[in-house]
Amino acid sequence: MGGQGNLVSGRVLAEAAVLAGYRPVIGETFGASRRGGTVFTHVRIGIDEVGPLIPAGAASLILGLEPMESLRAAISFASKITTIVLSTSPVQTLQSLSGQTKYPPVSDVLEAVSALCPATYPVELSGALRQTSGRLVLNSFVLGAAAALDSLPMSSSQIRESVANLMLPKDSNLAAFDNGFKDLEQRKLRGTKV
Amino acid sequence: MADSGSSVIMSGNEAIARGALEAGISFCTSYPGTPSTEITETLMKSIGQLNLYAEWSTNEKVALEAAAGASWAGVPAICPMKSLGLNVAADFLLNVNLSGTGKGGLVIVVCDDPQGHSSSNEQDSRFYSKAAMLPMLEPASAQQAMEVMHTALDISRRFEIPVVVRSTTRLSHSRGLVTIGDITKRAKAATRALPKGLYNVPQPYVKHRELLAKLMLIAAEFEKSPLNTYDYPKDMKHLVISSGICGLYAKEALALADTKDIGLLRLTTTHPLPQHLITGAISKAKRVLFVEETDPFIEDETRALAADLTRTSSPQFIGKRTGTIPAWGEMNVDIVLHALRDAALVRGPGMLQSNQTAIGKAEKLLIPRPLTFCAGCTHRNVYWALRKIRKRLSDRLVVAGDIGCYSMGVFYDEAMQTMQAMGSGIGTACGLGQLKRFGFDCRVVAVAGDSTFFHACMPALVNAKHKSADITFLILDNATTAMTGFQTHPGSTSQEEGHRKVSIRSLVEAVEPDFLAVGDATDVVSMTDLIHSTLAKQGLKVLILNSVCRLEEERHDVVPGGRAPVAINSSLCRGESCRICAAQYGCPAIGWDYEEGRPVISDELCVRCGSCIDACPHDAIIRR
Repeated sequence: MGGQGNLVSGRVLAEAAVLAGYRPVIGETFGASRRGGTVFTHVRIGIDEVGPLIPAGAASLILGLEPMESLRAAISFASKITTIVLSTSPVQTLQSLSGQTKYPPVSDVLEAVSALCPATYPVELSGALRQTSGRLVLNSFVLGAAAALDSLPMSSSQIRESVANLMLPKDSNLAAFDNGFKDLEQRKLRGTKV
Repeated sequence: MADSGSSVIMSGNEAIARGALEAGISFCTSYPGTPSTEITETLMKSIGQLNLYAEWSTNEKVALEAAAGASWAGVPAICPMKSLGLNVAADFLLNVNLSGTGKGGLVIVVCDDPQGHSSSNEQDSRFYSKAAMLPMLEPASAQQAMEVMHTALDISRRFEIPVVVRSTTRLSHSRGLVTIGDITKRAKAATRALPKGLYNVPQPYVKHRELLAKLMLIAAEFEKSPLNTYDYPKDMKHLVISSGICGLYAKEALALADTKDIGLLRLTTTHPLPQHLITGAISKAKRVLFVEETDPFIEDETRALAADLTRTSSPQFIGKRTGTIPAWGEMNVDIVLHALRDAALVRGPGMLQSNQTAIGKAEKLLIPRPLTFCAGCTHRNVYWALRKIRKRLSDRLVVAGDIGCYSMGVFYDEAMQTMQAMGSGIGTACGLGQLKRFGFDCRVVAVAGDSTFFHACMPALVNAKHKSADITFLILDNATTAMTGFQTHPGSTSQEEGHRKVSIRSLVEAVEPDFLAVGDATDVVSMTDLIHSTLAKQGLKVLILNSVCRLEEERHDVVPGGRAPVAINSSLCRGESCRICAAQYGCPAIGWDYEEGRPVISDELCVRCGSCIDACPHDAIIRR
C-alpha cells in the first residue's frame, strides 16, 4: 500500500532486468492508491511479449512492503514455486486505528503467509535504519534482501545499480539496500526463514 | 529525450504520447481523468523542445471541439480522455464524425477502466466508435500503442474523420520496453482555408451516407492491416478471438494450457471489423471463444456476421453471451484458462494449483484497506460538519455529490449520499430542490469541487437560479485538480504562462444567488455554523469553502513544522468510552494505543492542521 514507493520498486526491478538483457513488463495499479488503498505492482521478466498481470499462484517472488498486504498478494499470487520477502512492520488501516477492525497479530499473518508458500523471509529494518529513515528506505531494504536470493534472473549488482539510478536520496537507499542484502545473506547461511 | 532506435521503458500512456509526437501531432487538448492523464502530461513535457500546444481544457467536450478546430485548420491534433469523458464529448463527436475533421487529422484516445479501478463505472467506450461510425484501434502493448498512433493519424488525415484509439487501464498503466523512432520538427501547418461544409444541415443523411462510404474503404484497409495477427495450427480445431491487451492474456493462457489445435486471432482494428478475416477464420473452427473487455463487442458483431455463413460452416460461439466469461470486471489469464476448460477447448487446468485450505485460513485474517481522505484533508472537515448538521436536523438532510477526491464522502458515514457524473450533484439537487410541493421535507445540499465546478456545474447552477430551486451548493475550492495529480484549471492559484485565472466567486456572483458566502474549511466550528445557518435560508444558497489539499501543500514545501504539533491531553481524554476522534472523525494521523486505551497522534502523518481539536468534545486534543 501507499503508492509511490511500491511503483518505484517495480521500476527498479524492471530497469535491472533491462541491464540483464530482458524485456520486462510492469503492471501498476494506482489511481486511487494515493488515498490509502492497496497497491500491487506486477513485474514480469522474460524475453517474450506478455501481458502485465501475473496469473494466480504464478509469482516467483513477492516483495511485501507491509505484512497484511503481503498476505493479500500471497493469497492471489503465491504457490509452492513462490518466494516471499516481506516487511514485518504493519501499517494500520483507518478502521484498525479506530478500533472498528483489529489488525491481527503479525505472527499470525506471517504464519498464514508461510502456509501459502514455504519460502517466506520476513525482514525488519534494523534499529539504526529505522531510527534515521523510517519507512522511507524500506523499499530499498526489501529489494536488497530480495537481491540476496536466487529468485531473480538479475545479479545483485544490476539491482543495486538500478536502486542507485532511481531511488532518492541515493546514499541512504544504497545503505538500506546493502543492509537488506547482508541481512538475508546471513540468514541464508544460518538457514532460517520464519 | 532518448535517441531514435533506442529502447526505453515506457507506460502505455507515455508510449501513446511518444507515438503522437513521432506521428507529427502538434496540438493536444484534454481534461484529466484516470487512467488517461499521463498522455497529456507527457506531451506537456515536450512543449519546450517542440512547437507544440497542449492544454488542460475545462472539460472533454471543449477539449474535443478545440482539437477539431485545430484539425480543420490543418494542425494535427490529439484529444486524450478517460472513458466517462467521452460521454461528455459525445454530443460533439456524433456531429463532427459527419462534418469531418479536415486535413490536419484528429486522434481521440479513450482510456477505459474495466473493473472501475478509478472510475464510477466500467463502460466499454468501443460502442461510441460504432455509434459515431468511426475507425478504432485497440493496441495490445506499449510498443503497439506507440505504433498505432501513426496509423490513426494517417487514416484521420486521409479520410478527414476522427480516429479512436482505445486503451484500457492495464495498457495505459503498464510499462514495457518501447523501441522509439524520430520526432520530426513541426512545420507551421495551419491554413486559412477551412474545409467546406463544416455542418450537417440541411441533409444530415447525405453526410451519413458519405461517412458510411468512407468506412467501407477503411474496412477494406483493415482487412489487410498488419496490426491484426492470426496464428493457427495446420489442423486447427478451435479458435480464440481477442482484441487489445486481452490478446496477450489469451496468448499466455494458450501457452499455459499447452494446446496444439487452437488458433488465435488478435484484432487491433476493431471498428470496422475485418469481416473477411474473421469469417475466414471462424469457418475453419468448431468452437470460437471471445476474449475482450468489457462488453461482448466483437462477440456480438461476429455472431451477426456468422448469420451469413452456411449452417455447416458456422461454429459454436462461446464468450460473455454464453456466460462462460463474465460480462463484467477485468479480464486476466486465469479467466481465459477457466473459459478454455469450461468450454472444453482444453482438458487440463493449465494453472498452478494453490493450497485452498491455506487460502481459506488466510482470507479470514484479511482486513480491508478502504480509501480515505489524507491526513488533514479539509474535505473531511466539510463532511464532519454535514454529519453534525444532519443530526441537528434529525436526518432531514440530503447531500448530493459529485466527482473528485471529495467523492470519498460516500465512505465517510455516507455523509455524501449520491455520486454519478461530473456536475451531477447540483444537477440532481435541482430536482430535489423542487420537491417541497410533493411533501419532501429535507434540506438539500449539493457538493462539488473547483475543477468539477468549471467542468460541468455551471448549467445546473443557472438552472437552479432560474427555477428558484431551494438548495445549498457547497463549492469545495482547493484550487487544484487534486484527484488526478494537481493539474491546473481556470481557478488554480498559480497559472501557466499566458493563462488567466477565472474566479469562481465572480462566476457565482453573476448568477446572483439568494445568498452567497465564503467559508473556511480549515475552521470546523465556524464552517459548521455557516453551513447550518445557510441551510435555514430559502432559495439558492452558494457557499464557497476555501479548502486545502495537503498533498499540494507538500508539493510546495509547506512544512508542517511551521505549525505547532498536535497532541492528546490524557487528563481530559475519555479514552475507550468516547473514541470520537479515532472512530468517527477518523484522520489517518490519529491512531489508537490499545495498551493505554487512548488515541495517539502520529507525528509522521500529522500535518498539524489542528482540525481534530474541534472534533473532540472534551478539549482533550491540544496544540503543544
